[in-house]
Amino acid sequence: MDDGIMLELNELRAGYDTAKGFVRAVDGVSFSLKRGEFLGIAGESGCGKSTLAYAIMRLLRDNARIESGSVRFKGVDLAAASAEEMNKRRWTDMAMVFQSAMNALNPVLSVGEQLTDAVHAHRHVSEGEAKAMAVEMLRLVDINPDRLKSFPHQLSGGMKQRVMIAMALILKPDLLIMDEPTTALDVVVQRSIIEKIADLRADLGFSVIFITHDLSLLVEISDKLAIMYAGKVCEYGPAKELFSAPSHPYTRGLMASFPSLTGPITRMGGIEGRAPDLLSPPPGCRFAPRCPEAFEGCDREEPGLRPCGKEHFSACRLIGGAK
Amino acid sequence: MSDTVLELASVSKHFPIRSLRSYGKAVHAMDDVSFSLARGESLALVGESGSGKTTTASVIARIYEKSSGSLSFGGEEARPFRNRAEALGHKKNVQMIFQDPFGSLNPTHTIREILERPFLIHGLAKGRAELEERLVAILEQVGLSPAAEYLRRYPHELSGGQRQRVNIARTFAVEPGIVLADEPTSMLDVSIRMGIMNMMLALKESRGVSYLYITHDLAGARYMCSRIAVMYAGMIMEIGPTEEVISKTCHPYVELLKEASPSPESGFARKRTPAKGEIPSLIDPPAGCRFHPRCPKAKAACSAAIPAMRDLGNGHLVRCVLYD
Repeated sequence: MDDGIMLELNELRAGYDTAKGFVRAVDGVSFSLKRGEFLGIAGESGCGKSTLAYAIMRLLRDNARIESGSVRFKGVDLAAASAEEMNKRRWTDMAMVFQSAMNALNPVLSVGEQLTDAVHAHRHVSEGEAKAMAVEMLRLVDINPDRLKSFPHQLSGGMKQRVMIAMALILKPDLLIMDEPTTALDVVVQRSIIEKIADLRADLGFSVIFITHDLSLLVEISDKLAIMYAGKVCEYGPAKELFSAPSHPYTRGLMASFPSLTGPITRMGGIEGRAPDLLSPPPGCRFAPRCPEAFEGCDREEPGLRPCGKEHFSACRLIGGAK
Repeated sequence: MSDTVLELASVSKHFPIRSLRSYGKAVHAMDDVSFSLARGESLALVGESGSGKTTTASVIARIYEKSSGSLSFGGEEARPFRNRAEALGHKKNVQMIFQDPFGSLNPTHTIREILERPFLIHGLAKGRAELEERLVAILEQVGLSPAAEYLRRYPHELSGGQRQRVNIARTFAVEPGIVLADEPTSMLDVSIRMGIMNMMLALKESRGVSYLYITHDLAGARYMCSRIAVMYAGMIMEIGPTEEVISKTCHPYVELLKEASPSPESGFARKRTPAKGEIPSLIDPPAGCRFHPRCPKAKAACSAAIPAMRDLGNGHLVRCVLYD
């Protein structure tokens, strides 16, 4: 195993117990993340990307569970770790920025109290030291330290999201998981948050898993990209390569789903149909019913990830000449 | 001019604040907005949240009455409705597609009940047979077939994209002249957005309607519309033909918006965006140009007075002192 690898998922399966049965939202996901690497996970609603994030953090809801597989983080399998172990790891080693910053902050506590709470929960430090850490973090995310006394409702959406990032980074974790951190924000604010994350990563050297449905953004900011569809990773590889030479028909469809600001205006297709119901996923390749390139056997034979370049994998039977 | 279906001249909308602390003040949601829309034309209204895009659409739909300025449809000044027939006539001419496909369909009604209403309210179908025929026709036009199957269903049985198609069918049922589309794809999954956008383009071609297409996505606006107006803090900052606004951008705010948009093509070695800060309060908007506190090119003159719209020719106008 390469020494630089910090997080390694192996055939992770997780899902939800519902009245109608078990919904396997994450179905056999494997990937590895190196120290300092930026992994983008893209997919549409219901593809399991958030469940994956919560499974790594072991923050799944009561009706959800990890079914099988492992999440090795710095040599320890988090999927099998005890609750106390996880409590210690969470926030000191790995932190998360949640989807809606608007609701993730406690409305009745000031920003300062919330930031120092995170410190006190894990470190035996004095009130003054904790406050100094909070001030330092707010400065890092370009918020005036006077804001320590502010309550969440006194902050704009972009500032709340920056406070969330400050809170996630206050104990200098090695891994930051961000679940749609900029989806609710305007483009200009989104850009400033993205640039901030890039600066902080350069300074502090943490790894990032960035989850979003906005592929155009991900391509720009990620080192590696994983495309998820119906609970599975259908393509994984260097972001530049996925953009310039997407291999899986689903990735190609997604790339043809956002118009461009430059170049000629060409008619774009998007993808017909809708994602399958994960209660009873279709046999074979899960994308086959919507796939414009599906051929004989795609509806029976399930393709695993196959190499199609250097560190580039695609779960499609077109790779390797099945046709 | 008979070819102009909609014209706004210096239209403003201020919402008075009734709380004690700010009594007498108003939210300047829309100030000095002027543009016109020709038959069959599509204009994109681009801006961030709080820039006044939706207020502008609501004023045109006459959900809110304008505070000042002149609003006219087909050359006729909009006056207060004198009776129900006038109000209905306006609603038939100007229809809106809403952003949220989940909240804009009544969950207790079937698709049939939802789509029948515009025909019944406006008396557009004579007898059961014609109504049935038109329901099927409109559903098939928005790509929902077999129509009979969809007519039986309830909104919760449809996906977001299908619901938005029902919304669009409802909009086009009354054969409007002007369609105000308020971020019709922003709540849908990426892979189905293009399908909805292409369908809207096809409907525009076949029906000859005019679109006011509201969006925060500059690239989507470019795909959909021949003209773009960019709003900031309640005012239009730049308006003109799509390619001119995007490739010969004049206003520093539009430049910033362009820089901030995700663009994988130029992305890997992009330059950093200069401006910081956020959209100002619309209760006490900054004096002068509303963008000057964030503008990298601001100078003393910018805070003195609100710049007028400068005509650069070819229908390209910009509100910035740099072009005086």
